[in-house]
Amino acid sequence: MDTNPETRSAETEPMPADNPAPETEKDPAPEAASSEAPLPEEDTEAQEAPQPKKSFWKRFGAKKEAETGDAPDAAGKPGFPERLVISPAPHIRTADTTRSLMIDVVIALLPAYLWGVYVFGLRALTLGIVSVASCVLFEALFQLILRRPVTIGDGSAVVTGLLLAMNLPSTVPIWLPIVGAFFAIVVVKQLFGGIGKNIMNPAMAARVFLFSWPEEMGTFAEYGLRLSGVGTADITAGATPLVSLKAGVFPDVTLADMILGKTGGCIGEVASLLLIAGGAYLIIRGVITWHIPVAFVGTVALVTLLFPRTDGSNVNFMLSEVFSGGLLLGAIFMATDYVTAPVTPYGRLLYGVGCGLITVFIRYFGGYVEGVSFGILIMNLLVWYIDRFTMPVRFGGKQVEKKQ
Amino acid sequence: MAYTFRGGLRLEEHKNTRGKRIETLPPPKTVSIPLQQHIGAPCKPVVAVGDTVAVGQLIGDVGAGLFCPVHASVSGKVTAIEDKFAPMGNRVTNVVIENDFADTPDPSMQPFEKSLADATSEEIVSVIRRAGISGMGGATFPTYAKIESAIGKVDRIIINCAECEPFICANHRLMLEDPAAVVNGVKVLLKAVGVREAYLAVEDNKLDAANKLEPLVADSQMISVRILKTKYPQGDERQLIYSLTGKELPAGKLPADVGCVIFNVETCAAVFHAFAEGTPLIRRIVTVDGDCVRTPKNILAPIGASFGDLIEFCGGLKKTPKRVVSGGPMMGRAVWDPATTVMKGTSAVLVMSSAYENATGLPPACIRCGRCVRNCPMHLMPNYIAQFSRAKDYARAEQFGAMSCVECGTCSYNCPGHMETAHDIRIAKNEIRKAARNKK
Repeated sequence: MDTNPETRSAETEPMPADNPAPETEKDPAPEAASSEAPLPEEDTEAQEAPQPKKSFWKRFGAKKEAETGDAPDAAGKPGFPERLVISPAPHIRTADTTRSLMIDVVIALLPAYLWGVYVFGLRALTLGIVSVASCVLFEALFQLILRRPVTIGDGSAVVTGLLLAMNLPSTVPIWLPIVGAFFAIVVVKQLFGGIGKNIMNPAMAARVFLFSWPEEMGTFAEYGLRLSGVGTADITAGATPLVSLKAGVFPDVTLADMILGKTGGCIGEVASLLLIAGGAYLIIRGVITWHIPVAFVGTVALVTLLFPRTDGSNVNFMLSEVFSGGLLLGAIFMATDYVTAPVTPYGRLLYGVGCGLITVFIRYFGGYVEGVSFGILIMNLLVWYIDRFTMPVRFGGKQVEKKQ
Repeated sequence: MAYTFRGGLRLEEHKNTRGKRIETLPPPKTVSIPLQQHIGAPCKPVVAVGDTVAVGQLIGDVGAGLFCPVHASVSGKVTAIEDKFAPMGNRVTNVVIENDFADTPDPSMQPFEKSLADATSEEIVSVIRRAGISGMGGATFPTYAKIESAIGKVDRIIINCAECEPFICANHRLMLEDPAAVVNGVKVLLKAVGVREAYLAVEDNKLDAANKLEPLVADSQMISVRILKTKYPQGDERQLIYSLTGKELPAGKLPADVGCVIFNVETCAAVFHAFAEGTPLIRRIVTVDGDCVRTPKNILAPIGASFGDLIEFCGGLKKTPKRVVSGGPMMGRAVWDPATTVMKGTSAVLVMSSAYENATGLPPACIRCGRCVRNCPMHLMPNYIAQFSRAKDYARAEQFGAMSCVECGTCSYNCPGHMETAHDIRIAKNEIRKAARNKK
């Protein structure tokens, strides 16, 4: 990577050709001025970028320095470098990067998160910042200590941090997301090999880990109870809609309020409409496909419609199940986490259905009111088998297998 | 309605030279003609250093097996016969000819003595073999052998005018500027293969070319123009056959097994020139493009001209290049030497200033986004195959369909984690083939 033969030859040995000082010659520029114009700029950039610093910033995923190779040779006319680069085809690549995908996810999450900040006060903002910062910090620390390349630049730790915060009640103490971030990043993600290698969704696993503090994790602020950024306050704990549903009664918030996000719950899970809008954004941008969210939410809707656990209208009950708890946040943003979801279209449908079924079973029969986390985590572990058995029929593949 | 297939990608086209007329390269001072430009046995030189050769004179031949003779593309003196590295990395004998700029034609270049109606299939095949025509789309399979293997087995010819790779406009310009040669070449091929149906398969980003071809085939009962949806890799033979006939061609099978034979559009024109004028395959159209080239052009270049000559003809370089690619950006090969020469399968020369496209500077990592699975035209799971390949578990890679991979590069192109998926699969394919050979 640091073997830029052009750079080195341009800087150390300015080629014994015609003119050893190319800069002075440039002013008259009698040739095509249009194409000559950007060259001096690039020249100075190349000189400004000192070599030793490069590797340091590169570890943090900083953008590559200006193309030093663009500088003309001493004759002022670009020529072929001493060595051309040989690389495997294809020679062009998409502009999409892991980072750009993660930025899209953050953009899709922000409206719902900001609604949470509006509803639950600055405390929600503090928790979010602490969570994101500690996720990024733990990732960087872990990789620095193990002398691995630092990959915080890919943005995945930011997404994990944001999702973790959005899955917490606004009342938790500030140290809680730090513990969660440690578990998510170090235990779930890095110990399994870092990005792309973890077998469970880090934020989801961390949330379940944090259930070790049931008191903190189980106290939800009521809608509109805005807490200050730091410090503690007397909290009037409110029952979330899910708690009511577990008890077999309709929640006291109206369905409209649940859809609009005027209810108690975790920071990021209340704003149902904004979560759906975020999901639509991701699908339109091609970041996720529709399969998992539709299969997940559809399964929950179908089962709750067929087997309601309260008296009254089935449809109302179904809707309050769908719009309560972390279902939409989980189905749209956490079950679709690339690393821990199947890659095949049918596999994604199957996975979504599985998540939905486990969610409903736990909500109905489990000890916890909330089943989404467990549904996703259990299905995470089955991803390899789902992929294996939903392998697409390869092009003309059936005949070939018979032949061989 | 446009014909298409499942999977694949809509790429940024970068067809910068689509509006540029084909220009003829001024005769280069020397040409270096490799004696193996095709799949099959390398040719042996039939001229010696010091010989004077004429344009179109045979300079390399084998005479048996799968081969494809090579002809001089300029007239002049043979100054050297030497081994050079070919872009594939193997050593190939080159005949270096110093141009005398006299353009003396070889007396052997005569139109075929009979009219097309009277010519027999065998006669046409021997004309094509003598003209040294091999597939000009990139795979360079000798055309005579393709025809021979197709006779009696196929019921239609497909002319591949898809040109689905970005940047390349050579076929497009050929169809616009010499549609008659293409259509007449198809007629010769119909006669040679002995079938009564031919499709000219054009992507819908080249409708102007299709419009030029339509009136020429209007009176023909046998030839029709088919419009394909623009998508990569539409020009792959499997996707082409599937789009047009709905038949899936499995890995390891030839198009003839599903009743089709495919020729590149420029091959058609070469067949016509060989039949009507007796010209062997000694020049071809090359698109020269890339962000380092001052004025990208479509160039009619003699076989054996160096990439440097072509680039110089395009006004030289605008930036210092990092890569030179022979062929399209998706499946072409990066070459290390600007003196690499134009061969029968060289459709483009791309001069690029970027070394690799990973702008984030992060180590490559698969995030299992599934894009490669979604876009694979062969409906494979490239991420798993590549993973097994990296783990050297080639048996598993084979089980997951590595040998079905056509190396179109769609997976690597679309990978946000910058994995070299296609390359990993390529390695697996190599190892699987090696293991199969060792077993025997």
